[in-house]
Amino acid sequence: MTQELRILAPDSFRDKLNRRAFIKAGTATAGMAVVLMACGGSDSDSPDTTAAAGDGSKEASGDWSRVINQSSGTLAMYTWGDYDDPALVGALAESSLGVKMKVDYFGSNEDLITKLSAGGGSSSGFDIVVPTGPYIVQMMQKGLIQKFDKTLIPNMVNVDPAFLSQAWDKDNEYSVCKNWGTTGFFYDTTKIKKELNTWQDFLDACMGEASGQCSVIDAAPNYAGPYFWANGIDWNTEDKASLDAAEKFLVEELAQHVKAFDSYPSTKLAEGAYTLAMAWNGDARQAYFRIKDAGGTPENWRWVLGAPDTELFMDTFCIAAGSPNAEAAHAWINWILIPENSITDLEYHGYHTGMKEMEQLITELAPDLVKGDMIFFKSEEVETMHTQILNTSIDRLVDILNKAKAKAGA
Amino acid sequence: MTAPVATTYRKRLRAPKFALALPSIIWYLLFFAVPIAFIVVYSFAAKDGSKLIPVDYSNLSGANYSNVFDETFFKVFKSTLRISTIATIGCLVIGLPVAYFAAFKVPEKWKAIILALVVVPSFTSFLIRTVAWRIPLAPNGFFSKWLVDMGWIGTQGIQILETPLAVQVAIIYNYLGFMILPLFVALDRIDIRMREASKDLGAGRVATFFGVTLPLAGPGIIAGVLLTFIPMCGDYVTATVLGGAKGNMIGSMIASQFSGAQNWPLGSAMAILMIGAVLLSMVVGAAIVWLIAWVFKHPTPISTRIKHSFHERSVSRTREGKTTLFKFDVLPIALTLWTVLVLVFLFIPILLVVFHSFNGGSSFTIWSGNAGVKWWDELFDGSVAWAVMIRFAVLFVVSVILRNVLMRTTKISRRLLNWSGPAAFLLAFVVNGMSTDWYESVFDFASIGDAIRNSFIAAFGATILAVILGGFAGIALARRPGIWTKVFMATVFLILVTPEIMDAIALATWFPRVADFPVIGYPFKNGWGPFNGGMNKLWVGQSLYASAVVTLIVRARLAGLDESLEEAAADLGATPARAFRQITLPLISSALIAGGLLSFTLCLDNAVISTLISEAGSTTFPVALLGATRSTIKPFWGVGAVILFCVTLGALWFVTVVLRRSGSSSSEIAATIAGS
Repeated sequence: MTQELRILAPDSFRDKLNRRAFIKAGTATAGMAVVLMACGGSDSDSPDTTAAAGDGSKEASGDWSRVINQSSGTLAMYTWGDYDDPALVGALAESSLGVKMKVDYFGSNEDLITKLSAGGGSSSGFDIVVPTGPYIVQMMQKGLIQKFDKTLIPNMVNVDPAFLSQAWDKDNEYSVCKNWGTTGFFYDTTKIKKELNTWQDFLDACMGEASGQCSVIDAAPNYAGPYFWANGIDWNTEDKASLDAAEKFLVEELAQHVKAFDSYPSTKLAEGAYTLAMAWNGDARQAYFRIKDAGGTPENWRWVLGAPDTELFMDTFCIAAGSPNAEAAHAWINWILIPENSITDLEYHGYHTGMKEMEQLITELAPDLVKGDMIFFKSEEVETMHTQILNTSIDRLVDILNKAKAKAGA
Repeated sequence: MTAPVATTYRKRLRAPKFALALPSIIWYLLFFAVPIAFIVVYSFAAKDGSKLIPVDYSNLSGANYSNVFDETFFKVFKSTLRISTIATIGCLVIGLPVAYFAAFKVPEKWKAIILALVVVPSFTSFLIRTVAWRIPLAPNGFFSKWLVDMGWIGTQGIQILETPLAVQVAIIYNYLGFMILPLFVALDRIDIRMREASKDLGAGRVATFFGVTLPLAGPGIIAGVLLTFIPMCGDYVTATVLGGAKGNMIGSMIASQFSGAQNWPLGSAMAILMIGAVLLSMVVGAAIVWLIAWVFKHPTPISTRIKHSFHERSVSRTREGKTTLFKFDVLPIALTLWTVLVLVFLFIPILLVVFHSFNGGSSFTIWSGNAGVKWWDELFDGSVAWAVMIRFAVLFVVSVILRNVLMRTTKISRRLLNWSGPAAFLLAFVVNGMSTDWYESVFDFASIGDAIRNSFIAAFGATILAVILGGFAGIALARRPGIWTKVFMATVFLILVTPEIMDAIALATWFPRVADFPVIGYPFKNGWGPFNGGMNKLWVGQSLYASAVVTLIVRARLAGLDESLEEAAADLGATPARAFRQITLPLISSALIAGGLLSFTLCLDNAVISTLISEAGSTTFPVALLGATRSTIKPFWGVGAVILFCVTLGALWFVTVVLRRSGSSSSEIAATIAGS
């Protein structure tokens, strides 16, 4: 059960493993699922659940129509834009689970919270919501999400333990990892001749040769991140002096050089709007394809993982309080945690989905995956990534972002 | 028989004057005044992030207002007013010649065509049209590349996106139609004899325009300015999609206070100050106009001299014109050219939306597909060759049938119809070359079909509500004036100037409070029939603005007709109900249709309010699209917009046919559709 976190570039491990090794791993997982079911003391009230879990990574389908019929209606999901393979929230879910799905999009965790709160906490009508880890605490306190019935999600064993039991939800009672990612930047090497390797380089370039041509992520902690990381300050600092200094730099010096506050720059990079963009790894990976689509030359662009330190964000599946189809929601989450589905999703959005034995899965299920180095990171790189903590500094950071926006527009 | 009639009549008279407006009064009290009052209270409170409604009332103070007057915030405020003012003037300057041309220079048939062409673009989703501007303006786009190749601009390409200029252009584009229509209606109503008299008295073109036409068009200009300036100030979609960091507008700042920063008190204070600023700038604008008019009216030496010189110059010019041998009149040609250019401007984004809905790539704005080449490969590929040929054949047959049908039914010249062959071939060529995958799979994508259906249900329900509420209120306003009229009109006006985002927040926080009330709360909590609670909320939210618009239109219509017909009916013994059914209703029917159509299009496109109050089962197309604009917009959104567009156009066509059956002239129909 306790496997070491081994995350390598896919090219380096593709030839190491053969199909047999993979199937062995698969049966091991399946075996554990059965054990867990036994421990959980679940009677065989839901045979479909056991069947799907028992077959582990091999069996991707199951019949969930019974569950849905009980709950009547369609499964409603509220998530980030363009964040799920259309088949997994559409045709495939319908054919495999008998679940018809509806998907709506939000732009920030605060949007999500506002929307659920506006519904009085229980009448929003959403079943599955996808907040980022640190926000789960707040959502639990406000009663916006409900506890899992873990017996309905036996496939949680397929998730690498390294991505379970996070600080915000120690026992995964409310959430399970959807995928995780990190932050870096992406630049046009024909326009910026100097090689950029660190956040300091990024900031210098943004205020120098890429002034007025660079974009930053439109989220308060992410806008402040590069300053803290470049100066060796803890990203989650609550120290007033550090925050004051950050404000001075971010508002007075950096803001005027920023062309846009844009969390998903990939399409606009392809349009040619920016020469330097701070981006999440999955979106930066999309930018390569989009640039190619637009008839540009992706080879001229370079992705750099933020250094010396950077972000690790983890988005999670949760079930909204008052979910009209809670049982179906459990079923869908359990279904998406089947490795086949998880890898399909990974291929779509380009973020690590936190599955166990990721190397084998990729070799077996997605051997054609390109730009894997933007999805999987070396363990020493992962060590430089830090999750956000929601503390007293968040109000200040939001304030800084708003001031920076006003300053940039002035 | 006469006795009971008399008593009911007397009873009716004793009812308060505002009785007919009572539904509206209750509606606005319940869903506008009280929710907004909460917003006003929020603006004095403090933020408390730990609560469900993140507002702490324990310590009320004016601190938020002083925070608003922060230096940087104030700059955004000023730039918003600047963009809106320039855009309003821009719309007026661009739109006036078009309206003038359509009203005076073309035959009846063309009037309707031009107006239809002005109206039609606004039936495509506002959001997708705004996004579509990214296509020609992108630095790597085809247009930019072409300009670079021609050597007209530097190698970096067009650098307009993510600047205030992009916002400025797109805002003018988005609201131009709302300026042209009221201008046209006002100009079209001017009695042609007035202009003729002016010319007979020796005034030239310029003097007639400034001395007669423009003053008579005054109400239209005022309506146009109000219809554009107010929504522009609160618009945040355009700035979000095109503005980047530099093109920030106040609307997006207020929105981010509510959702991003969760600082509702500060956002409320900003919104209230914004309404204040909008009202103030309108007062200032009105004062300036009044001042100019006053200067011209009062025979001070300067203004007399100006008037005189205008007159002299134009008189002399007309005389010169008569004496010259070649009477070459530039004005109609210039006006025609200008109108064509404006129409092209209006249609550029629509054509791009249609074109890009055939995009083979994964992103709506980035074209990746080689039109016109694909079919060639397919023709020599055994497996699909037949499919290509059949597609060609079907298109050919359809075009032949269409041509024959058109020849029989309409009076379009044969010469024009003979082009249908080449046009069909071109269409077949293009269709075969482009990716139609998105059309085939559009309904596979999570909820796009539902979104389109929900949009129609929501807009239809809200329109019915708006027509009923606005119809009665309009009648009451026109026929039963009193002190209440002023209060009511002020409320209607306030509804029109309140930025949408503020209504949205007010309603979103109000519905959970109402949900626990008996009776009133029931539909919002449980829904009724096939309609869930979210749909009921959408009806309420969308009906507010729409009913205000209908109220104004109906009032304007009835104010222009004296009451003698209704009085005559009453004198002849008709009951009030009968007089209403047989006299008043037919009189205002065109106003109701106009108001209904206008509300329908407004509701169909409503994104801001709907986003905050819709629930999982009631997501409309603009709501879904607004969510998608935050990341990547896939080409199927273009397909959705095209489908929505076609259905709306069908509805419009249906209304036109109904109106034509009832014997209205095309210019009357145009006026009806234009909403006045």
